[in-house]
Amino acid sequence: MSAMTRWLAVLALLVACLSVPAAAQVTEVSVFGASDLALAFREIVPRFERALGVKVTLVLGSTGMLAKQIEHGAPADVFFAADQSVLDDLAAHRVVIPETRTLYAQGRLVLATARSAGSKLTEVRQLTEPRIRHVAIANPAHAPYGRAAEQALRAAGVWDAVRPKLVYGENIRHALQFIESGAAEAGLIALSLAGVPVIDYVLVDRSLHAPLNQSVAVVRKSRRPELGLAFIQFVNGAEGRAIMKRYGFLLPGEF
Amino acid sequence: MDVFPVALSAQVSVMATALTMLTGIPLAWALARRQFPGRGLLDALVISPLVLPPTVLGYYLLVVIGSRGPVGRVFDALGVSLAFTWRAAVIAAWLGSIPLLIKAAQAGFDGVDVRLEHAARTLGRSEWSIFWAVTLPLAWRSITAGIVLAFCRALGDFGITLMVAGSIPGKTQTLPLAIYDHVQANEMYQANVLSLVAVVTVVVLLIGVGRFARLRY
Repeated sequence: MSAMTRWLAVLALLVACLSVPAAAQVTEVSVFGASDLALAFREIVPRFERALGVKVTLVLGSTGMLAKQIEHGAPADVFFAADQSVLDDLAAHRVVIPETRTLYAQGRLVLATARSAGSKLTEVRQLTEPRIRHVAIANPAHAPYGRAAEQALRAAGVWDAVRPKLVYGENIRHALQFIESGAAEAGLIALSLAGVPVIDYVLVDRSLHAPLNQSVAVVRKSRRPELGLAFIQFVNGAEGRAIMKRYGFLLPGEF
Repeated sequence: MDVFPVALSAQVSVMATALTMLTGIPLAWALARRQFPGRGLLDALVISPLVLPPTVLGYYLLVVIGSRGPVGRVFDALGVSLAFTWRAAVIAAWLGSIPLLIKAAQAGFDGVDVRLEHAARTLGRSEWSIFWAVTLPLAWRSITAGIVLAFCRALGDFGITLMVAGSIPGKTQTLPLAIYDHVQANEMYQANVLSLVAVVTVVVLLIGVGRFARLRY
């Protein structure tokens, strides 16, 4: 008897000691966003917080996962999706407010080469070269950049030749990690992530794939929709745009 | 460095382990000692959390305890939200870890000679008393192993928690989620420190528990 009782006593004691810290009582706005926004938002969020005197809780993840969470009641005020079809869906299901939908960037695909793999590739066609043994892209089945990569490979007429070399990342950041590690010699990834030391890249012609429109909207259940809107306006305002541009999140007219 | 994920994970994994013990040990005992309809099916089903991909499991859990789910709605009506709170993290860790305890405890109970229990019965002990005085102590080594496995699984849970509790900094971001976030942001120093914290905590705890458990039986 004593062993079990003692175990339970210890557990009860531990549980009692470890109370969850209470949430702070400042005005908060919850921003859910696609993970490729990490670097840009790390600069934008503190500025917004200072400008408006509010606290931003930033939750980053894959667009598909965040969309499912918001659908099931996740406490998001505003959602920056990397994929417009996801926002279309959420708008159709009355999860987000359609009138608040705003384009915040048009994604660009780049052809990236790992420095360890030799000289930089400049054309999608060159992915067929024998020295390129693996080509990393995001999974075309569900990742928008993966879909764009497939379109670009098809448009360049090399899809069948490159297909056996393809390695699929779970998302675009994962695809980047394949190239960064040198495991894949090259790949098609997002411009916004390409600024890392160990890879070289060139822009892929925009005409090779459908536009990667990235939109944001305020969540219908938000208790502070005006703050969500304010955040969207801040990102698309002068201060936000300057930062977004630096990380490759360009709007039509900024390319 | 933010210590919130460490404190949250400590709390979540301890609570989840307590919950796993309270539910898993009786269930393992029933599976090992009792005949009831559907026993074979249940025996196989309790393994399923290990088979399904964690994020998929997390999604199913979200469908059940989310604001639209059957369980979520009941709790919402009671004024307690489950999904995207620390409670969801506890449920996630519990779900991921319970198969490990059940299987270990079941093996422990199976290994206990039923003749010893019969002997206790002939001496007039009640079934309740036999469980505490004979079966549990004899199965204790296996159960301890199961508890340790379950605790580590609970502490390390990533996929289920990510889906059902979210990775909300300062609210539901547990240690594994924080480590992952730091790796994603290329903040390897913070990631390394937190990983070290996780490993050292477990090592210290296991040494402590090992002594404690050995002292008892």
